[in-house]
Amino acid sequence: MSYALLIAFPVALGASCFLLRKETQLVIGLSVAALMVQLALVLFTPVDQPVRLLGLTLNLDPLGRLFLAGFPAVTALMVLATQRLPQGEHFISIALIIIGVASAIVVLLQEPFVVALLLVSAGLLSVLAIVDLPTGAPTLVAPRVIASALKYTVLMAFAGALAYMGFVLINVYRPGISLDQTAPRLVLALMIVAFGARIALVPFHSWLPDLVEDASPLASAMIIVVLNTTGLLFLISVFQFFPALAAENERGLQLLTWLGALAALVGSCLALVQDCPRRIIGYLVVYNAGMILFGLATTSPIGLAGAVFEALNQALAVPLLMVSLALLEQPDGRLPKTMRRNMLWRWPIAGSGLLGSGAALVGLPPLSGFASKMLLYDIAARRGVFLLILLLGATLLAMLALARIARDWLTGAPEDQPISETPLLLGTTELDLPPKRHLAPEPFIAGLVVLTFLGGILAIGLYPQPLLETITDVIRGLTFVRGES
Amino acid sequence: MLDIHINWAIVSLTVSSGVVLLLRDWRLTVPALFINYLSVAWFLDQQQFIAPDLTIGGFSLSTTIVVKVITGFAASAILGITAITFSREYNLEDLDEFSLAELRRAARRAQRQRASEPFRLSEYVVPFWALVLAALASLALPRLYPIGSQTVDFAWYWLGLTGLFTIVIAGDTLKIGLGLLLVVSSIDLVYTAIASTVQVFPLALLSLTTIVLSLSIAYLSGLMYGRLKTLDLSALYKR
Repeated sequence: MSYALLIAFPVALGASCFLLRKETQLVIGLSVAALMVQLALVLFTPVDQPVRLLGLTLNLDPLGRLFLAGFPAVTALMVLATQRLPQGEHFISIALIIIGVASAIVVLLQEPFVVALLLVSAGLLSVLAIVDLPTGAPTLVAPRVIASALKYTVLMAFAGALAYMGFVLINVYRPGISLDQTAPRLVLALMIVAFGARIALVPFHSWLPDLVEDASPLASAMIIVVLNTTGLLFLISVFQFFPALAAENERGLQLLTWLGALAALVGSCLALVQDCPRRIIGYLVVYNAGMILFGLATTSPIGLAGAVFEALNQALAVPLLMVSLALLEQPDGRLPKTMRRNMLWRWPIAGSGLLGSGAALVGLPPLSGFASKMLLYDIAARRGVFLLILLLGATLLAMLALARIARDWLTGAPEDQPISETPLLLGTTELDLPPKRHLAPEPFIAGLVVLTFLGGILAIGLYPQPLLETITDVIRGLTFVRGES
Repeated sequence: MLDIHINWAIVSLTVSSGVVLLLRDWRLTVPALFINYLSVAWFLDQQQFIAPDLTIGGFSLSTTIVVKVITGFAASAILGITAITFSREYNLEDLDEFSLAELRRAARRAQRQRASEPFRLSEYVVPFWALVLAALASLALPRLYPIGSQTVDFAWYWLGLTGLFTIVIAGDTLKIGLGLLLVVSSIDLVYTAIASTVQVFPLALLSLTTIVLSLSIAYLSGLMYGRLKTLDLSALYKR
């Protein structure tokens, strides 16, 4: 019953918010309260007590609970930030429904066919958030936004079709009985391509930088945090329920570790050569996707713990990155065409949020990404020095890309120097004078949201032990994990 | 004398998805998609493992088949109605003068483009060869990678490949949607025909996903047409 409630409650609240969507403040308050209730529901739901409903098995494992608790908490903070950040009319209702679908995915992980389709449905639903406009917006949807939404739709539908096909083949193929050696390889390849398209792994990444560049930052954050992360849980559950995929694909998994490391390197290289800050940020997430695949493909306790921890880190860092980005892009009282290069000094909280989240994403101490990256470097070092060099090189390039954002946008000198007052001449009217500068202060609530996220990232970075222990406990129970511990 | 047994369901399935790949006019491709759904249902009805459990007008049918026909009708109707109306009503009184001017400019540009686009046979060269390639691959792949019976394998490979090639050569949003629906239909066919235990819930959810997919494409098409007065994909990237 409580599992069904986890799914139905946010969906019902999402529908209510849709009906009330014109009442922005009411919807924000209602949705934050609903998300807090959802968080409490997740925390009080018993784990590992499978039940049958409509012929399906529902279960919540500790790892699923960890992520399901994170989603409403992070989304509530993002929703709070929408008080000052312009968002699509339907953003909040879509976010709540996506949380409901994500809950369904997590509790139905034992039903791979259903989960593959739910992931597609959630992806299609989020398309509405991508092309959404604020209530009563006087502008049109930009063609590039429609292009990004279309690209995302096609790739997500394909990812779903490939995953579904993989399960059909698993259904046909009997692990350990069939003499056909192609089937497990083909299934693994289908799953990895589906997973790669979902988490924006090089070379299936092209949708993500476009999305980050064109869509509203919070819609992008919602997609990256909730849908990409559930994609990771999905792949872990596939390996868990079909361990033959890992056991009969030793070389395939070895190849995947290299592909993951290379994907991270290519992602960070591409981040470095971008001109637009939004695209740099998009490619930093692509770099991170490579790191996650690397950890997962090692199928070792350390690597897997690193991958899961990294996904959690991403779920915290990306919303902070996007909220800070949205804040820094707000008009601050200067003329629209003025180059703004001093945002760290001008709006220090948002500037620090951007730098902090970027640093967490690339794994700088003492932030949350440091622990996960150390686990990944550890397993890379055990697997070979070249792998370690690849990962370190990727991180170094990602750091340079982040430094570029800081130099170009955050720490420079202000481009518009205050004009010295000239004495009034005879016959001068108000129209002859330059407009008075009213530089806006940093929005209070959005600033508070940024500080909360920063605090969370710092706290996990300084004290990662409780999270790591939970992750390690869960990983110990996974059947496909082997090797170095 | 040769006794050739023609499976008309397969013929209908092959021709209808070929039409979707080859032709550009939605007045032909959307009905072809619906015929394709009917053909898939007809083909599945021939399979022995799907037992009839319903009687409609003297015909014994399986619920699975009825669900597939309804899904196909819904998906085709959504795309067809979208193609007929092709507009998302912007609240014009909310728009500022720049946006209104942009809408007028887009309408003029689309009108000019339509006027300067005569029928060219050369535009059908790539779809034709894609069709040939799909046919060759669909005949070869069931021998190289057999999964079920040869007919089932041909049917799902053909649907999947024509869907894939439709997406690759698509010049407009609606055609991308048609391609995606063909791919999903292929997966649906292979699951229904091959999986050792066909479960009701995944099948129902697959039907729902098909409808949601066609709704998404319809929404994006309407949005694009409302904004640019064309469904041409190249218009999305014009500066």
